[in-house]
Amino acid sequence: MPFAGTPLRDEYAAAVERMARRTLDALQGAGGTASLTEPDELLASLPTDPDGSVPGPVLAAARVLGPDLFAPQLFNSSSPLNPLNPLNPFRESTRVPLDGSAARLLAEARRVFPPPAADSWDGSPTGPPPPADDANLVIAWQDWAASALLAHTPYGGQAAPPPAAVPRPGPRPGSPPGPHDWQAWSVRMAQLSVLALPGLDGPVHELARAHTLDLARGTARSMLRRDLRTAARLARWLAWARADGRPLRLEVWPVLERIRLTGDGSARTLLELAIADRLLNGPPEPGRARTPR
Amino acid sequence: MTADTRVLSTAQHVGSRALDWLDAGRRNGFGRLPDNTVVDLADPNDAYKPLGELALAASLVLRDGVAGPGDTRTARGLLDFAWDQVRAGDLLYERQLRHLTTTDPLETYAHFARADYRHAAMEELLDSLGRLRAVHAVEAEPNRRLAVANARRIVGLADRPDWAALAAATWLGATPEPWAVDWMTAYRITHTVFHLTDWGARPDGLPEPVHAYVRDWLPVWLDVWLEIGQWDLAAELLAVDACIGEPATGRQGWEALATAQHADGLLPRDSEPVDADPAHAFRDHQHTAVVGVVAATITLSRALGGTPVAT
Repeated sequence: MPFAGTPLRDEYAAAVERMARRTLDALQGAGGTASLTEPDELLASLPTDPDGSVPGPVLAAARVLGPDLFAPQLFNSSSPLNPLNPLNPFRESTRVPLDGSAARLLAEARRVFPPPAADSWDGSPTGPPPPADDANLVIAWQDWAASALLAHTPYGGQAAPPPAAVPRPGPRPGSPPGPHDWQAWSVRMAQLSVLALPGLDGPVHELARAHTLDLARGTARSMLRRDLRTAARLARWLAWARADGRPLRLEVWPVLERIRLTGDGSARTLLELAIADRLLNGPPEPGRARTPR
Repeated sequence: MTADTRVLSTAQHVGSRALDWLDAGRRNGFGRLPDNTVVDLADPNDAYKPLGELALAASLVLRDGVAGPGDTRTARGLLDFAWDQVRAGDLLYERQLRHLTTTDPLETYAHFARADYRHAAMEELLDSLGRLRAVHAVEAEPNRRLAVANARRIVGLADRPDWAALAAATWLGATPEPWAVDWMTAYRITHTVFHLTDWGARPDGLPEPVHAYVRDWLPVWLDVWLEIGQWDLAAELLAVDACIGEPATGRQGWEALATAQHADGLLPRDSEPVDADPAHAFRDHQHTAVVGVVAATITLSRALGGTPVAT
């Protein structure tokens, strides 16, 4: 419940932070706390309004975290459904069965806060998009990821078709040639870090595979600019590319370690780090430090 | 080598104007040694390091031969001036004679020797010192050892240093986490590249893992120091880009320097206000002008095919 005078924005930010913390705990198997692999435990652990409905800030938080709500299920090594688990009979399948409260919550959040109208730029290659459409493109891809994962649950319908365009590295139309544009592109990719999950693949992932050096440069740049959340998100893409078998020019674990020690300590950033860690190293072993070495 | 002609034209313009600004400073009497300069210079950095840097820039203009006749004449005039200031090498010789393990006389002399301003007694002395174990036992940072090795190479002394071992001992040699670089380390990086490549004359002088490492991360370092207006360091990084062969950065750097350059050709070292007193402004920003000339010269030279050097 909001405190009197708490600005709405702070209240929503706190809700995102709480939900990121629960997801992180579930991902790391923190004993006794909410496990998203158990149906309804997440919902049961959340506050409800007197009428039993999920409060707006909680739904907004689910909308913000989107696909990352499924991270505990996707990475749970004991689950035969984990697409990274070699024992998973569905490993080669594009269908990753997902269930439980995360799906219910995300579906409800998407109902209450629908995706932006599809009348924004459709990615038509006939003309250069104005800069604002880059942001729309990011939102469109985040939505695609959420709907693609939800489609594997009883709460999702048909997976939405992927957006027609991807954020591309390289010069914009009309701008000078040369290796200039990795900066802006890597920032866009950082905003799309929720796509760096097992079970998701598409044109954005193809770009990540093809431009690991640009991702690495973006990571180093963000580190030097002390933009550690962007660095964490790009390191997550690098970890994803590494898990995909791509060679990297930047060691990822020192980046994760540095951000863990010097970052903002927020659950959102720690969740990015934890997902990157799982992509790099698989499930934690007893006695191993949380950040890989 | 593929060359972006707009980059080359911007670099040429920035470098030429920086050279003119240095020359105008000289004509206004800035950058001269005090009349009472004696061998025991308390602070060589203040006294004649800038003269050595002036000689560096001018000697590279002459070495690479890519400047127009006006800039070539200006460079020759600046070298004559600097050589006169060090009393045709006597001042360097006397200092080296007295301080056998001090390296600044050698390093300064190398810039003159590059353009064939020679001092026979100095070379005999340096040759002799090179045979002392003491001279090689001096404890120095690895990038400083490279500076000495390259200076001796330029002068033409007979040593055969182990370049691979010297390179391996530097920061770059370890190819560390690229996000761990700080401002001082970045300068050590640029100088490691300058000495290993002899200021762009030997682009193959970087060992391969280091070469790939610099190409990978130079765009990042340039970007972050351009963003905070560290023009002096940015110009050094652009010089590095020219030293390693095919450039790894695009137009961003040179266009930022061109925008930062003042109407009179002054290239500010950073984004702080420039001192209104011309003498102070010259003192504060002469290094950046030198770097601008060096970076532009090597950029043009490499794009036009490079300068062969005798081995």
